[in-house]
Amino acid sequence: MAPCYLDWAASAPPYPDLLEQAAAIAYSAYGNPSSLHATGKSARAELEAARSALARSIGAEPGRVSFTSGGTEADSIPMLSTLLAKGERSIVISAIEHAAVFEQARVLEELGVKVIRVRPAPDGIVDPAAVADAVRRDTVLVSVMAVNNETGAVQPIGAIADALRSARGGSERAPFFHCDAVQALGTVGFDAAATGVDGAAFSAHKLGGPRGIGALFLGRPVTPLARGGGQEGGIRPGTHNTPGAWAFCRAAERAASAREASLARARLLERALLDGARAIPGVVPLPAGRLPGDERYSPYIACLAFPGLSGEVMARLLDEAGIAVSTGAACSGAKKERRVLDAMGVARDLSFSSIRVSTGRDTAMPDIELFLERAASAYARYRV
Amino acid sequence: MDALYLIKIGEIRLKEGNRAEFENRLKRDLKRRLSSFHSEVSSREGRYYLTVAEENSAEAEFALSRIPGINGWARAVKVRKEMDEIAEAAVAAVAPLVKAGAATFKVEARRSDKGFPLDSYGIARELGGVILEAFPGLRVDVHKPDATIYVEVRERAYVYSDGSLGVRGLPLGSGGRGLLLLSGGIDSPVAGYRLLSRGLALESLYFHAYPYTSHEAWEKVRDLAANLASFSGGMTLHTAPFTEVQLKIKRDALPEKTTLYLRACMMMAADMVARSRGLNSIVTGESLGQVASQTAENMRFTGSYTDYPVLRPLVGTDKEDTILTARAIGTYDISILPYEDCCVLFSPKHPILKADFDAERKAFDALGFREIVAEAVAAIERVELPFSFTPPRAIAVPR
Repeated sequence: MAPCYLDWAASAPPYPDLLEQAAAIAYSAYGNPSSLHATGKSARAELEAARSALARSIGAEPGRVSFTSGGTEADSIPMLSTLLAKGERSIVISAIEHAAVFEQARVLEELGVKVIRVRPAPDGIVDPAAVADAVRRDTVLVSVMAVNNETGAVQPIGAIADALRSARGGSERAPFFHCDAVQALGTVGFDAAATGVDGAAFSAHKLGGPRGIGALFLGRPVTPLARGGGQEGGIRPGTHNTPGAWAFCRAAERAASAREASLARARLLERALLDGARAIPGVVPLPAGRLPGDERYSPYIACLAFPGLSGEVMARLLDEAGIAVSTGAACSGAKKERRVLDAMGVARDLSFSSIRVSTGRDTAMPDIELFLERAASAYARYRV
Repeated sequence: MDALYLIKIGEIRLKEGNRAEFENRLKRDLKRRLSSFHSEVSSREGRYYLTVAEENSAEAEFALSRIPGINGWARAVKVRKEMDEIAEAAVAAVAPLVKAGAATFKVEARRSDKGFPLDSYGIARELGGVILEAFPGLRVDVHKPDATIYVEVRERAYVYSDGSLGVRGLPLGSGGRGLLLLSGGIDSPVAGYRLLSRGLALESLYFHAYPYTSHEAWEKVRDLAANLASFSGGMTLHTAPFTEVQLKIKRDALPEKTTLYLRACMMMAADMVARSRGLNSIVTGESLGQVASQTAENMRFTGSYTDYPVLRPLVGTDKEDTILTARAIGTYDISILPYEDCCVLFSPKHPILKADFDAERKAFDALGFREIVAEAVAAIERVELPFSFTPPRAIAVPR
């Protein structure tokens, strides 16, 4: 791990004890949970205990939670189910969705589903009324993320759910409302019941669990496109990942029990980061008006622009100093785009010079101080 | 079992005065590249023969396809000295040529074993008859045949046909040694290849502007140089740290002149390297009008910072043709890897198109770049890239 790891939104360092115990469970509970013999049944018990624990962490009934291979698959299951609907249909997504939703929507588009993209306001937040207005009679699914992975903007999921319900006046069924909650679960938290979503996607490795395990909450049934052995009620066929599910639920429990204390600490780090960044001449947080303590943003994620120095170069210089940050979006392709920032209407010279700094459970004040010091000197030396 | 190759040379034949020297260069080059295993190179009556062990045939064919001065080569089939077997091999050699559209042929036979019952003429006549019988549509043309079948009767009998194309041109080093300005783009490796094939041995110079250009961008250039090394039998890659030069240009020059001045600084650096390494020329991938800065006026300006000849083999080449060559020599897929070799922040939106020679020289000289360029040249890091039978290929990295 980098001496100063500030890329928790990309992946959180795993809890070592959870990985070790998960490995032990992989040996001990090796049976196929679908098998009827004792070995299978004991694995099934382990899996169901994990499901119940995870369900509690997200405010859901255990029967509503399916394990998946990760956040991307959890997003794709409700999205791809729209292909099985009959007749003309559309979906509505925000223009700032993670690629797991945004790119999947492009595929639906190629297959004949109309995709309506709702841009956020310049502050990076999607207006619930704008989402409700975008919904048409043939809209079968709406997808808006809980926390944006580049800016940390917390989306008003509960208000969007309400707006969708009242837009149809209760007489008709509202479209399925899906939420990519991958960046929310281990940070600001996510409660499926309280928000009133129909579906939500989660991923274990963002909160210190292992890769290859995620979950899908379904408050309303969907018809999955991919079929197989019928596991997870047919929602996600494929042999269960028992040790992964176990480690996921433990990581979620840890995040939930530490939430308030962690948030308070994250707010302190956020204040130091944003104030410190603003003190560097020329540096602009994105969105430009974001202030520390603003609850509309996850304190764990900040986007900072260094005009005159590309984000890629800044990330390279920081990496050299042992500080891991990201450019927020895959920026190495020939076609350079900063889709999320573009959708917010951020000027190109700012968006291309931006980096994402994200903190987590092990981040301490000296990390922020080191980052600020190195970023300031690199910026002074190399900005053009 | 041994593999025997017939090697055809082209222009060397025309260079009567230098022929012996050229031939020696070619043989040395071949022997050097095949030095990791046993090989024999011989020449008789203007033909070259290479013999290697069968297990080394793939390496031998790789080298033969990449050595400047070789027009083409063919793998010979070795059979017993029986006319039946020779005829069978000859028919087998003709079949793919007919399929490829050959309508006329001739048989060229040589007999060094005077104990063989037929003389050269007799062998050719008899094989010609067998081939005509096997391919009724085919005609004999001894002057300009579409296909030629060669037969040699020595300690065994060897049969071969027209083979694979080589690089052609002149043996490496016959044109001296030049300095290639190598970027990560499509053009410069092709420019290097063009002049390698004219017998100009090369070293390469890359301008690295870390952190504006990444380590991955350097690795890409190294892989391009290593690819050229498979044609040149090895390559010296000089990497000049140019960040300070870039920053000074950005600081001191008008925005529309930054590209022009950067190129002048590169030329200045190339001049210094060529001088210290005892090279005879500078090679660039410039093509007239390809980008705004590549105009005759600008070339005159940048070229004035060296008195070495600046060789621009692509100056009149269309980009599409350059790409075809880049694909053929295996550099294209490396060149299009997405690591930028120059930061957009340094590229002006409206670069100056036609430098006013005297005024621009005066303005550029007044800024005093010589010292900072000399510092970059003094800090050059050198890497020796050996000839390899497996030059690097672009690996698509999933991201």
